[in-house]
Amino acid sequence: MQKIQSSLEKIREEIEGFYDQKSWHFLTLNGVALSNEKLEVQWIFSKYATPDEVVVYYIEVPYDVEIPSIADIIPSAIISQRELVDMFGIAVEGSTKGLYLDEDSMQTPLKGCQI
Amino acid sequence: MFTSLIKSFLNLFKKPQTLAYPANAKPKEESYRGLIEYNEAECIYCLKCEKACPPGAILFPPVDKPPSDNEKNKKSLKYEYNPWLCIYCGECVRACPKPNEALWQSAKKQSVAVAEENVNGMWDAIEARKGIFTKNSSVPKE
Amino acid sequence: MSRKTINIPLGAQHISLLEPVRFKFECENEKIVGVDSDVGFVHRGVERACTTKFKFDAVGYVVARICGLCAITHSLAYTVAAENLLGAQVTAKAAYLRTLLLELDRIHSHMLCLSHTCENAGFEAMFMQIMGDRELVMEIQELISGNRVQFDYICIGGVNRDITAELGKKILENLTLVEKKVREYKDEFLNNWSLSLKFKGVGALSLEDAYRFNAIGPLARAAGLQTDVRNEMSYLPYKEIGFVMQMQESGDIHARNMVRLDEIQNSIEMCRNIVNGLPEGEIITKIKGKPQGETIVRYEAPRGELMYYVKGNGSAMLDRVRIKTPTFSSIPAFSEIFLGQEYADAPAILASFDPCLSCTAK
Repeated sequence: MQKIQSSLEKIREEIEGFYDQKSWHFLTLNGVALSNEKLEVQWIFSKYATPDEVVVYYIEVPYDVEIPSIADIIPSAIISQRELVDMFGIAVEGSTKGLYLDEDSMQTPLKGCQI
Repeated sequence: MFTSLIKSFLNLFKKPQTLAYPANAKPKEESYRGLIEYNEAECIYCLKCEKACPPGAILFPPVDKPPSDNEKNKKSLKYEYNPWLCIYCGECVRACPKPNEALWQSAKKQSVAVAEENVNGMWDAIEARKGIFTKNSSVPKE
Repeated sequence: MSRKTINIPLGAQHISLLEPVRFKFECENEKIVGVDSDVGFVHRGVERACTTKFKFDAVGYVVARICGLCAITHSLAYTVAAENLLGAQVTAKAAYLRTLLLELDRIHSHMLCLSHTCENAGFEAMFMQIMGDRELVMEIQELISGNRVQFDYICIGGVNRDITAELGKKILENLTLVEKKVREYKDEFLNNWSLSLKFKGVGALSLEDAYRFNAIGPLARAAGLQTDVRNEMSYLPYKEIGFVMQMQESGDIHARNMVRLDEIQNSIEMCRNIVNGLPEGEIITKIKGKPQGETIVRYEAPRGELMYYVKGNGSAMLDRVRIKTPTFSSIPAFSEIFLGQEYADAPAILASFDPCLSCTAK
């Protein structure tokens, strides 16, 4: 697994330069809560027809920023972005709440989730 | 196309595949996952089965009078098992240092719990003695 | 002249749906022009439970209960991730036994999907036949692991039970019977006139769209996209037992059924090779320690690619468990395929995707 760090401003250009439809497969978006104030957002890619090659781009941000959307480059990212909004309470450009959770249930269950 | 017509016609004369349970008994296998059984005399009270159980169906709450004069039972504990919470995975048997002498999995089927037995209330009381209070517990936390 | 559209729901409760999903179709006469989907009716909060309520050695049992049809793939993926974090190796015999049960699971899941597709096409007799023959596979699974659906067969360090020589003979007998039936079904699916009316040319996904939407599983292989995680991983011995990727080209419902039938035949061949060539050794190795670090593991569930991301911090409770299920990533592709089809074909198209909503809305 190869991890590449980036920043909130440059992440969209880096993914646009890196992604090639015929050789890379986009898996999903992932969020990992590092503390009650910061979280790490990951974009996970794997290569077609090559064993065990996975590349992860990640950024570390606080909870009150807006993550840029990559749904025009990769149309299948739209559902992972909606899940990130529901689970962590972080804003993503163009995605609304309500994929899994209703209004009267517990909100943002994975935000700052520590035992 | 014609083969399916011929097969449907021949199926009229075959026996049904359904098993008429419970009128006829279902054949029992030896590899059936049954109840967990315990032999108090061999137990060394290491509590590894309690730590290994995923749903928490084996507990050792403290009692006033120990169940036997086993000298390994230093804190006066008693073995309690809930067959309706158990998932029959066998993790407790694998964690036990004496797997076929103190704890093993039999091939017996569990019985059905009826409302009069109040199994949930009894288990809530056992958990309260260990200090575990879940959200829907019928025993209030003092 | 204004075009009026009407909204028809394929509701959360529908007579032909096995799973709770709601689609709202915007239809102009009979053609579908817009799709709005809602998943998440069975959200249970498994990801949060894995990091707060259960210790790392019990999470394998929690995660297996996300889905009934791909239960073993979830527990295998989590267990391999935990073994990576603990720095442990399993014996060759345990790896072969894990692969055996994985392929048996694939056979019975594909049979269920095929029978459901036939039922939606109106051929109820075939549905009953395939379900009756599926019992042969469920019988072997119960003899090996003790349960029919939730196997609870894999633990950290290996597997729980061994197979004897007698059990191996029974497995081979049942598999020979299943293979004979599958050849008859293949004949029906290819030549029966009423099935080809309902399936050929309906619900097609082109190769360009498959690349654009990152399609996975039988959906992608039916459209010509060569992707299968069994080709792209090295933890299980797929190369030694004769794995062959099954492809078709047209991308419609008929092609997906053919891919599934071919995969069943390939899986039966692989199971036979495993039982005949099982290596000697122990089935379980003792492992100590606590998980530390992060890892990503991918497997091929019957519906596509499954990914687990597990992060540990040296204590008994994990930091993060992220589960990406195959139906979850196929939802954008579903919404694209429906456009331009007739409304009456919608249940048949949905059944051919083989959705598993309890995996999607964890």
